[in-house]
Amino acid sequence: MKLLSPAAASVVATLFVLTGCGGGGGQSTTQPTPNPTPVDPVPTPVLDHSGLTPLTADVLDANEYYSGGEATVKVANEDAFSRRPVAISDDFQLDGFFTSGDHLFRTPHRDIGPLLSTGNCQGCHLNDGKGKVPASVDTPMTSMFMKIGKAEGGPDPVYGGQLQTFAVQSFTTSDASSGLPSYNGSTNGNELFGEAYAFVEYQTINGTYPDGQTYQLRNPVYKIKDLSFGPFGPTVRLSPRVAPAIFGSGLLEAIPSSNIEQLADENDSNNDGISGRVSLTTDVLTGEQKTGRFSYKAQNPSVLQQISAAYRGDIGLTNKLFPQEACTDQQAACQLVADQETQSGDEVDFSDRELALVEFYNRVLAVPARRGYDEANDSWDDIIIKGRKLFFDVGCVNCHVPRHKTAVANGSVLGEITLTGLEPNAEPIATLSNQLIFPYTDLLLHDMGGSCEITRETAIGDSCSEGAQCLYVQKCEGLADGLSEGVATGTEWKTPALWGVGLVQTVNPQASFLHDGRAQTLEEAILWHGGEAQTSNNAFQHLTGEQRQQLLSFVGSL
Amino acid sequence: MVLTKTTKLATAMFLVLNLTACGDDGTDGVNGINGQDGAVGTDGVSTFVTRADVVNTNANIAYAVYSDSLIRAVEMRESLQQFVDAPNATSFAQAKQAWLAAREPYGQSEVYRFRSGPIDALKPDGSIGVEGDGPEGRINAWPLGEAIIDYVAVVIDGDSNPESPANALSNNIISNSADYPQINKTTLLDMFEFGEDERNVTTGYHAIEFLLWGQDLNADKTGSGERDNTGGQRPFSDYYSATNGHESACTSGTLVMADQICMRRGDYLLAAADVLIDDLTAITSSWEPNVGVHYNAFVAGGNVSLAKILEGMGRLSFGELAGERINIALTTDSQEDEHSCFSDNTHRDIYLNAKGVQNSYNANYIRINGEVIQGASIHDLLVVEGFHELANELRGALEQTQLNASVIDTHAKTGTPFDVLIQQSIQQPNILAVINSLVSQTDVIEQAIGALGVTTNDLRQDTGEF
Repeated sequence: MKLLSPAAASVVATLFVLTGCGGGGGQSTTQPTPNPTPVDPVPTPVLDHSGLTPLTADVLDANEYYSGGEATVKVANEDAFSRRPVAISDDFQLDGFFTSGDHLFRTPHRDIGPLLSTGNCQGCHLNDGKGKVPASVDTPMTSMFMKIGKAEGGPDPVYGGQLQTFAVQSFTTSDASSGLPSYNGSTNGNELFGEAYAFVEYQTINGTYPDGQTYQLRNPVYKIKDLSFGPFGPTVRLSPRVAPAIFGSGLLEAIPSSNIEQLADENDSNNDGISGRVSLTTDVLTGEQKTGRFSYKAQNPSVLQQISAAYRGDIGLTNKLFPQEACTDQQAACQLVADQETQSGDEVDFSDRELALVEFYNRVLAVPARRGYDEANDSWDDIIIKGRKLFFDVGCVNCHVPRHKTAVANGSVLGEITLTGLEPNAEPIATLSNQLIFPYTDLLLHDMGGSCEITRETAIGDSCSEGAQCLYVQKCEGLADGLSEGVATGTEWKTPALWGVGLVQTVNPQASFLHDGRAQTLEEAILWHGGEAQTSNNAFQHLTGEQRQQLLSFVGSL
Repeated sequence: MVLTKTTKLATAMFLVLNLTACGDDGTDGVNGINGQDGAVGTDGVSTFVTRADVVNTNANIAYAVYSDSLIRAVEMRESLQQFVDAPNATSFAQAKQAWLAAREPYGQSEVYRFRSGPIDALKPDGSIGVEGDGPEGRINAWPLGEAIIDYVAVVIDGDSNPESPANALSNNIISNSADYPQINKTTLLDMFEFGEDERNVTTGYHAIEFLLWGQDLNADKTGSGERDNTGGQRPFSDYYSATNGHESACTSGTLVMADQICMRRGDYLLAAADVLIDDLTAITSSWEPNVGVHYNAFVAGGNVSLAKILEGMGRLSFGELAGERINIALTTDSQEDEHSCFSDNTHRDIYLNAKGVQNSYNANYIRINGEVIQGASIHDLLVVEGFHELANELRGALEQTQLNASVIDTHAKTGTPFDVLIQQSIQQPNILAVINSLVSQTDVIEQAIGALGVTTNDLRQDTGEF
């Protein structure tokens, strides 16, 4: 049990003072001054990181049904991740901006590329949900890609921070394959192809629960071929990423950093085997260090920075936050094509107002309500209640922290959107502010165990050192990717939110789970947990088959 | 019988008198010259209307405008058939003209969107579900990833592909006879939004538009450089085959193709028209007086229905028309974001959408045969309920928008279509004028919602399947 930190105590005190001021109605001016010296000190209540009475394994909070507070929608079909909150649809203007943001999100834009993973946001976030792993090794990755870097940190000297599979001609001409990677095809500096072709093969891992029930997992082996710009740097590291669902991001952004910091326990001082830590990252607009919240290793502190990085890195649209095209100085062919785009000089590809519209759309995309709850009778399905208790008892909640409270969700730093421009000093977004939400994450980095190695092999597995037939092959044990990003190491991941996880395959039937989509079911996803989560994984495995189903039913109801 | 009627009448008269007696017949002239004497002051209103009357008229216009859309779609189907049977300059021009004519009523029907009506919520079984269940996407979805349907140019202004290359087809439906041996309604419906991809639009007005006009590539067909004032220039030889007396003359643009390609293109064109007719038939049936599921529910809906009328007006004005259809295109300067980008008919989309809002307010719609549908209007209702100034303001705001939209319309008809206007700069004054007047009218619509005391809050409680 965590003790209340001084910071939290002062928050609580502030709340009490505020409460003391309110409620007086018309008589407030004649209220007597509160007694400054209480006879007995108020016993310090045990409160959680949000200043609320902690949730327990046995008692369900009536608010749990509304995972996103007021920004919850009761939709459980294929559109579950695509809806706007009622407070947005009820306001013609906000509704209109949501519609415009949605349009930009799903429509290709001028000046995409030169290098890119896909042509618009929805090309990765399928139906606003998760991307998918290609069905075969012959299909290029489009809604997933490889992050890339050096073992010692930083981007690859030749290829940068991520592998873009396509050059722009795949999207602007009628021949989609024309921009696919070609071995050394761009080393001459005047012909541009996608950077490299990544694909995945799976090895089957057979496992057995203590009760004798068997299971199978898919262990991915990632292979890279057709490197268009020559070899990677000597200490290259690779990290496969499937595009996540994006709803609810504005709520996660509005959780106070101080509340997240209270959940951190970098040195595991409470000896529970879990040492979450804040991913401190740089706000590229201000240069300040801020709490990272978005991307699989929490590298971006805001929705704006997340979408701006994606626009530049995934689509090739430069913007206010990232004004340079994603070409490294060793990619002359990329620079050449960049110079041919319509926008030139100091102009970026994607205007501030367009960026603000897509930011608004992302921030307010609503969270789907839970399933398994009978609203009329205020009752939960029995299996959900039992599964929830197991979720607590097994220790899942130590990282997948169920509940948070948002503070005021400030308006965009880009400004208030109007139909024809942006005005300074944007108003806060009411529907995201001061909400009780249930995302099931602590937004902290955790060591999830495992290790990786990268070798050079031919297609049939012989060792090699160079040439068109010599692939880069990454094999890992466990969840590690071996790639460090910011303060996050090659075994650390941010706890992902679990809200909506039970609808992921309703929204996109081809979607799967975990950062690289290796888990085809929620059960497989749990079984992959290692490192700090190994104890909980073990506890899950030691449950009876019926109990495991209960826990999975609970997770599926999120 | 007689007694009952008399009693009802007496009650009604009593109520009217009673209401009048409660009014404040002041001396400020607001209530008319007879007010001071205690006689019935009409507040300058010649037509007395109730909220139920307004809802009724709105439903009647819905039936008329969807009926007209259906009639024009059926007429278009005939023209398309004649064109496919005998492709020549005359039949081609008639087919295109029939498409343009079909857009005229449909554009005015869009004010019936965004209010959980049949267009957005009609389920295949004829019942009304939730927003998103309806056929709107199949009828009018855009922008298209047209590469899924037919050949596209090598370089174009805009993007012809699906959202993701993973959702591209091998070739396209028309040329890939191995995977799609038959082209019929089922083929098109099966491939609609293929791969959860909203750009894979295989049906509706804009699929037909693409098959008639082709991509808008400028007069020189290069697809590059400044846009000119031409729309798409698909040749009618794209429909040549032995079956219509033009053996071995089939084209795909400038390339000569096997007869089969043109025959399949013709099949596609007619199948798309058939799907459109099916969907418009279902919507029209739902709005049919006396028997239509939605018609009956709507006219009995009281204030909720009144709220829906105003909601459709406000939502179309701001979010859809001013926002997505005009301002996004202006901001991105892209044909991709232009509503009717193949035919360059976007000026009519804008004008007719705005006209639909004005129709709803004035309770006035001119049918395609010239018949005028008129009835109880929101304007009259506002006046009856004492909001004269607001009524006048809203009337004026809608008139201003219509005026500004007519400027775009005139420019397009005299050689400067919408896609050329938007490339003049983001400050293009005529387009900004339409946007600004749509914003203003939305503000006044919101005031009217407040004045009439109806709330749109309860309209969109999503229910979904649990």
